Formats: sequence, structure tokens, C-alpha cells
Amino acid sequence: MAINLEKERRTAKVEQRVVFESGNEMAAYAAQQINYHIMGYFPISPSTEVAQFLDLMKANGQHDVKLIPSDGEHSSAGICFGASTGGGRVFNATSANGYMYMLEQMPVQSGTRFPMVMNLVCRSVSGPLNIHGDHSDLYFALNTGWPILMCRDPQAVYDMNIMAIKLAEDPEVRLPVLVASDGYFTSHQKRRVSTFAHSEDVLKFVGETPPAGFLHTLDRNNPITVGPYMNEPDYINNCYQQSQGMYNAERVFERIADEYAELTGREYPMLDLYRMEDAEVAVFLMNSASEIIKDVVDELRRQGIKAGSIAPNVIRPFPQKQIAEALKHVKAVTVGDRADSYGAHGGNMTNEIKAALFTYGNHSTKVVSRVYGLGGKEFYAEDGHHLFSLAIDAAKQDRVEVPFDYYGHTPGDKEKAPKRMMNPLRFEDLKTGLITVTRNEETGKLGVRIPPLRALTKKPKRIAPGHGACPGCGIFSGLELFFKGIEGDIVALFHTGCAMVTTTGYPYSSHKATYIHNLFQNGAATLSGLVEMFWERKRRGEFDKLGLSDDFTFVMVTGDGGMDIGMGPAIGAALRNHRMIIVEYDNEGYMNTGAQLSYSTPLGHRTSTSNLGSAQQGKVFHHKDTAQIMAATNIPYVFTGSEAYPQDLVKKAAKAQWYAQNEGLVYGKILIACPLNWISKDDEGTNIVDAAVNSCFFPLYEVEHGQTAITYNPDDKGKRVPLTDWLKTMGKTRHLIKPENEVALKSFEQEVERRWQVLLAKHEHPYL
Amino acid sequence: MVHLPKLNELGFFEIRLESIGGLGANLAGKMLAEAGVEGAGLNGVSFSSYGSEKKGSPVKAHIRFCDLETSIRDTSPVERPHIVSIFQEALAKTVNVISGIYEDSTVLVNSRKTPEQLKERMKLIGGTIAVIDATGIALEEKNRVNMAMLGAMFRLCPFLDPETMKGVIRKSLEKKYPQTVAPALATFERGYQEVVFQTFALPEGASMPAFVRADTPVLGYETQPLGGLIVNPGNSILKDLSISRSGMMPHFKEESCIHCAQCDNVCPDNCFVWEELPDKKGRPQMFLKGIDYQYCKGCLKCIHACPTDALSGEREEDNYADEHRVPHLFDLVVQ
Repeated sequence: MAINLEKERRTAKVEQRVVFESGNEMAAYAAQQINYHIMGYFPISPSTEVAQFLDLMKANGQHDVKLIPSDGEHSSAGICFGASTGGGRVFNATSANGYMYMLEQMPVQSGTRFPMVMNLVCRSVSGPLNIHGDHSDLYFALNTGWPILMCRDPQAVYDMNIMAIKLAEDPEVRLPVLVASDGYFTSHQKRRVSTFAHSEDVLKFVGETPPAGFLHTLDRNNPITVGPYMNEPDYINNCYQQSQGMYNAERVFERIADEYAELTGREYPMLDLYRMEDAEVAVFLMNSASEIIKDVVDELRRQGIKAGSIAPNVIRPFPQKQIAEALKHVKAVTVGDRADSYGAHGGNMTNEIKAALFTYGNHSTKVVSRVYGLGGKEFYAEDGHHLFSLAIDAAKQDRVEVPFDYYGHTPGDKEKAPKRMMNPLRFEDLKTGLITVTRNEETGKLGVRIPPLRALTKKPKRIAPGHGACPGCGIFSGLELFFKGIEGDIVALFHTGCAMVTTTGYPYSSHKATYIHNLFQNGAATLSGLVEMFWERKRRGEFDKLGLSDDFTFVMVTGDGGMDIGMGPAIGAALRNHRMIIVEYDNEGYMNTGAQLSYSTPLGHRTSTSNLGSAQQGKVFHHKDTAQIMAATNIPYVFTGSEAYPQDLVKKAAKAQWYAQNEGLVYGKILIACPLNWISKDDEGTNIVDAAVNSCFFPLYEVEHGQTAITYNPDDKGKRVPLTDWLKTMGKTRHLIKPENEVALKSFEQEVERRWQVLLAKHEHPYL
Repeated sequence: MVHLPKLNELGFFEIRLESIGGLGANLAGKMLAEAGVEGAGLNGVSFSSYGSEKKGSPVKAHIRFCDLETSIRDTSPVERPHIVSIFQEALAKTVNVISGIYEDSTVLVNSRKTPEQLKERMKLIGGTIAVIDATGIALEEKNRVNMAMLGAMFRLCPFLDPETMKGVIRKSLEKKYPQTVAPALATFERGYQEVVFQTFALPEGASMPAFVRADTPVLGYETQPLGGLIVNPGNSILKDLSISRSGMMPHFKEESCIHCAQCDNVCPDNCFVWEELPDKKGRPQMFLKGIDYQYCKGCLKCIHACPTDALSGEREEDNYADEHRVPHLFDLVVQ
């Protein structure tokens, strides 16, 4: 609801304070005031900021919410479920594919009746990847058994978050509640928002603690069994209980909303009706677009057209009766669905509204269904006028000419259809013969000869210029250097991350050879499937006609984030030992989504989810040693590399290719600079990763058939520098050098030294 | 309450910021909006173009102000701005930065040029041009372009109080970057003081270009390959990334070059152009021919990598890149 400040000031019974914040900020602010016990989260745009704002407040000691950065949304939902069984208050926020990844946890959360609150900052669920707002993730939530509260603006995000926990915990409901707002349109637009001035008033409203009398898993005197094995004939009864809880939620929400209006003056009926009293034509939209349409209603009313608009504040339980009531005298309504239910002749809202009309005996109101605004496509007032014109026509003709269609799609100009611009790379240019790899039959080790790097400039780059990475980005210098060591054709798979986003902004691609992207966590599995398809089709002789001169080298490129959420699939692919390379560009964080911590972020490093403040000084646990984890899968070859040591990296690439073509899976990690989020100068990247190597934070080594060899030892070369020489090169770590962070620095130094000594021991002993 | 000088039909005074990622336009937009809403007591909304745009890519920020009685329902971007603030002059090359302005709109540009020169360059028919050398001020004050731009924008928004803004600057920065507060305030002040204006009346008989919304994609459902496949690999070479440079660029001195390829190893943007030629003994060898400035984002990593003085970092001058560009010779289907 658009707020009327004057009105509120008159009617609010508890002191309010006006802030100027975005939807994400308001979700975080409400969570801070409620002071949840636990938030398990994983970054995904556009919801990530919720955790960021909470971390920033936490760093300054403004709340006690335990923030748990998970290794993927499946885990974040698991953390939340586990925590919620323990009887405290639990919070989460996610979007789109993140929501899909946790989807199987949703009916478990509701079916076992543990309340919690999650913000769904709505975004398109898709392949090809789209990070902008629509309701396709939300529509998956419709069948999960969670009550769903809708937020059209940041004010509603705040208010619904306060009401959501009370609704979830109500004895008549006992269900997890989803709070849905529009990604970017609401999550990232700053507005005036009225809030409770004092957290005590919030807690007075929602209850200082969750209502007593409900069983939980941390009560030793009342042991319980959570999640039994329940088949027929009992299961249907559990579902029936849940269904009752869901329908109860309508009555309970209305009661809570009344109490809330008493305190704040802000009203949230199940259905928000705008100028519907005598409306003859109407448009039904949800969330941000349902505000824009009100301007259109005003304009049409000025023209003498009896227009009105309908938007739900709650869609689970669905306000069926209220909608039927609102449409009783309406001649035609256009329902805009911001997501399709492919093949259903209407989006979910269309069909539910039709069901409402049918249930209440309304056979006269015409319903026009349009899918609009997908993937963040803007909704302008002009679009609202179009939706109304459809309803006006239907009312006039007393029939709906085109009951279902898309709106806003464009055919494109045939003249401008894509035509190949560059010829494919020539095999003979890629297979230079300048690099030779030979296996020593006695030792089983590989010998590599590479030419001066000057000669390798003849080999075409795998990635075309024109990509959109930041100035000074280390990804592409690191990757191209690696590719200099690879001869012949590659097929590349890029995990979600900066390298993927900046090289494939449709309709452009910087990949000269074939490239694939799949979901964030699933690259290793995906590529392993393709590798096996290659070998099987080759075995069947199906490539004879395709001009294949040599076997492809299959390369998966991932960031350190992809190796967090994708660790399981990567280990699975390694254990199956497919003939492919996984090369990780490690920039120590989820840089694509705004520099959240990854498990590879070292201790004390500042990220947007490991902030600095009076109560927290950067990340609180040590960095993940992915190379050692992968080495433990006993794959033939593991390496680390850096652009600061080009010959070393090119040689390792050549070995990686030999192993990937002849034996099995290779994993390599390249430390690369991220000037933007390391807060360093664009031109310093090579020097900074060089210091990381020479401080032994990032040792250069390889593990070949289980035997470790350090390929560059800074001690031997007289190049060893203290860890602080590296840390002082970056804005994200400079605080570690200050005396007040001595304990953290010491701990970090000890860990780096311990890992280095272990590596030295492994280097000395073939069986370590 | 303060009085907004102009309003559109929905009751808004609208501002659009045009920038490249990394110059702080997003933050400047937020701060400007906060000054209007929290300082001047207006109603308002502020947001940026969203997505995965990286540093150096074109970005926009949008601000709407109105009185407290006006409901803000519109979430769409500002298309008809009363003020446009251009953080990166070169953007005009690839982005229609003055799209949708009125004849009495003001266009603020970060530039060392005169208003007349900018009017020519941006093909402005009528309106006010305001100029501030924000990059120069930022370099001198060792602070950021956005603070100088913010200062200049305050001069263009007489309904805002610069003293309030200084409070907002303090509040925004002191937590995360306390050492930057004083230089930011100085940069802001200079932006406020040093901006110059010139108004160009719409010539008799002329009219402002009609606003055209440019949101129809080139490809459509009849021409787009199924499944979102891109069947034109490597076509990012069509892009011009020179606008990503924020003031500096590498210069190449061929006579000092030893062709060691160290620059090539560290370049994130594949800008170095090589050619195979016979060496002194007549054997084929690779030689560095130069830099394809179309793709150079000016990071200057190559300067550090270069063991001689063949590469140096210089302040970008008009036309240097065009005159010294050595273009990549791609293997195109149609040459």
C-alpha cells in the first residue's frame, strides 16, 4: 500500500520512525528488530543484500542473529529447518534458482509444522540465466504449503515481515511463511518507509519469545521424533491437518493485520482494492506492477471509464471469496501473470481467479489472461493501458477474443537474424606443436617442453575481446595463460560467476569455441555427462562426418563460489574420474553477486557478508583448501597456478591436458585478482597474487598420481615475504595489520605456515 | 517544505545519472535522494540500473522527487529527466545519454570542454549545459569523481541544502571509510563552487527530438535461435569498450619492445596484436604490433609487466586511441 504519512501520523498508536530504504533493507531491518535466533543463507541476486545488511548491522553489534553462510541454498534451507526444530526463531531470504535448489525442503518445513519466515525476493527461474524480476519462482511456492504474503513496496516488505512471524507461530497456523517482494523493483528501490521506532514495540507485537507449549528438539525431558517414516493411511491425515492450518491462516492473518493497523495505521486486507466500488473493468496484478496500475486507473477514471484494480496481499491461502466478491459486478477483468504456467491456458493467477468466479457462481465476468513483464521487463503505465484496453474490449463485445496470450514479446526483424561473423578457429592454429608432453616410463611422471611464451602468442586466444569484465580483472589473463598450454580444440563449461556473466551477455558471446553454462552448482556433473557422450558417440563412429581432427579437451571453468555450492558434484565427477579438467579461478569471494564471503575467503578478510565493525573484524573462519580436498579424491593430477608465474602455469596446463585426455579428471586452482572487491588498484593484480605466492599463502605445487611437488619454493629462491606484505596490498585486508587485530593475524599466519609445512613434508615424502 | 522547480504530469521532478560502473554514480544517486527525502522532507525514490554490470560498463541511476502528498507508484526508469548528470563524457559515444530531455532540462557533464563544445558533441538542440571537471578535481583532492559530481548536482537542485548533504556524506562514509570523509567534503564543495552553466535556447522553429523508448531487442521470437543459443560465437568483438577507460591508457613504444609477451600474459582484455614476421636470421617469429584500443579498459597491468619502457601509462587525450589503434585482424566470414 502506498503510504499516506499524514494519515499514519494521526492513527499510529506506537511511535513510528520514517526511514528511506529499499525492500531488502527493510526485510533486514525487520529481522534485526525481531532479533531472530538463526539465519542460514546463501547469496543469490537480488535477495543477497538481506544477509549483507544483517551482517553489517551484526558487525556493529546491533543484533544477535546468528548468521550462517551455507554452501548452497539446499544447505541454507537445511540449516533453517534444523534450527527451527530447536524452538527458536529462524529467518532466510532467497530468490529464483536458489529457491528451486531448496524447493524439496519447503514441503518438509511446512509438513512437519515448524514455523519460520523466508523472504522470496522474486526473480525469474530460467535457463538461459536471467537475474531480473518476475514471479516464476513465486509460482513454484504455491504448492509448498507455506502461507504467502505479498509486498508491493518497501513499506509492505517491512510490515509483512513483522506480521509474518506472528502468523507463522500462531497456534492455529504453525506453518513457515513466505514473504514475497519483487526483485529489484522493490528490493533495490529506496522509498520512505515508516517503521516502529523501538524494537521493544515490535517484540511486544510479535511476542518476546515464540509461543510456549510447542514441542522442539532441545528439550531433554520431552524427547520427540521429528520426521518419521509415514505412509498411508496416516499421511493423508497429516496433509489434512496442514490444509486446515493453511485455511486458518486467512482468519489469523486478518486478525493480526487488524492488530497491526491499530498500532501503525497501516492496513493490509487480504485483497487490496483500488476504486473497485463501481468498477466495470478491472486489472489484476501482483506486487510492484499493481501500484503502477493505480496511476492508470486514475487516468481512465478521468476519462470517464469505470476502472479499478485488484491486488492480493496474500495468495496462500488464496483470497477466493474476496476476489469473487470484488468481481461480482465487473464486466471484464484482465489478469496479468508475471510468469507462465506453460500449457495451462493462463498463468496460475488467471486460473485461480477463474476457479473463484466459477465457485461463486459468476459466469458473466469475462477474464482475459496475459503473461507480461517476464525476466524483469519493465511495466510502464502504457502497458497498464493496454491491459485495460483488453478488458474494455471484452466488456464491450461480451466475449474474449484472445483469452490467453503473451504481452510484450517482439518478433524481431528477419533481416537482422543472427549470421555467423567469425570463422571457427582453425585446428592447425590451435595445435601448434610447440608444446610437447612425454611420459617417463620409469617414473610415470610427465615431462613438458614449452617454447618461449612469445612463440605462444601465435596461438589464437580462446576468448574474444569485448567481454564486460572489470578493468584489471584477473580471470581472463589467468584463463588465457592457462589456455596457452592447451593444444587443439576445447569444449568449455563455465559455472555461474563473473567469467560466465561477462562473456555471454545475450546476444553476444566471447567464446570462440563451444561453451555451456548450467546451474551454479552443477557444472562438474554436466560436463561429465557431455564427456561421456563424446566418448560414446565417438565409439559409435558418429563423428566421422563432423571434421573432428582430434579429441576435444573438456574444460570446466569455475570460481571459488562454484566450488562451494558445486563441491559435491565436483567430488562426484572426480571419483568417477571422467576425462576432463576443472579449473578454478579463485578470487576469494562471490564477486559476481557483490563480494560475499566464500569458503575460500581467508580469515579476517572483509567481504559484504564478513564486514568490519565494533563487534566483528572480517571473516571468522579459515579458508578452504580446495586443492587438497580434490587431491584426496585420488585423481591423476592436481595443480595450483598464478599468472605471476607464467611458465609454471603453462606447463601445468599442458600436463593437465595430457591427463584429461589419457587418464581422467584434473583439478587446478588459479589465484586471480579482483581489484574491485579486493579494494586494490586495477594495475596491481599480478603483483598482489605474486605476493600471495611468496608469502606462502598460495603455494605453487602439483599432485601427480598422489605425489606432491612444490614447483616454486619462495624460501629456496630467497623470495619469501611475510604474510603482512601481501595483506597490506589490499583494502579488504589492511585492517589485519592494525594492533587490535593481532590475534586474528597471528591465527592466520599460523594456519598459513602450518599448511605450508604440511606441503613441504608431502613434497619430501612420496607417500604423504 | 521546499518547493520543487518543475514537475511532470505525475508530480515528479526527475533526475537521471549516466555513468560507468566504478565511478560511484549509484552511491551519489542514493546520497542525493537521501538529502531530498531526509534533509528537505520531500517524498522520493532512488534506484540504479540493476544486474551484473561490472566496473566500466554503462550504468544509470534514477531519482524522483515529489511532495509528500504524491504517491510514488512508478518503478520504471527515469525517461524524461529534468536533470541528466553524465559522469563519463565518452559515454555519449555508445549511449544516448541525453535521451528524453526537455528543452528546459539541464545536462551536467564531467568534462574539461566548454559548454559549446559539449553541445556540439552531444547534438543538444536546446537546454542548459553545466560543466564540471570532476575527474580533475577528484585527482587533485585524492577523492572520487562522484563527490565532485554530487557537489555540482546540488547547485542544479536549489531546493536541496548542501549543508545537509555534508551531513549525509559524513554519515555514509564514516562507518566504512572514515579516512575519506574530509577529502570527500572538499571534493563536494569544489564541485558545488566550480560548476559553470550555459543555456542554449531552442532555436525558433526547432523542436526537441521526440522521446523514443528503446526497449525492443534486435532479435525476437521469430529470429532468435531456440533455447537462447548463441550461434555467432566470438561476436563480442563488435563491442566498443573504450568507454570503460576512466582517464588512463597505455602507450606503446615499438622501438623499446623486446617482444617478450609479458604484457600479453597479464592483459585481461586480449588487446595486444601480434604478427608473425621473419626475425634477423630470417626465421619466423612473433612481433608485437600494438594495442587494439577498442577493447582496452585502461587497467595498466601491462605497464607493470613490461620489463622495458615500451609500455607507459598516460592520461587519455582525445583521438589518441583512434590514431594509434592497431586493430585485431579477426578471421571474419565476410572480410
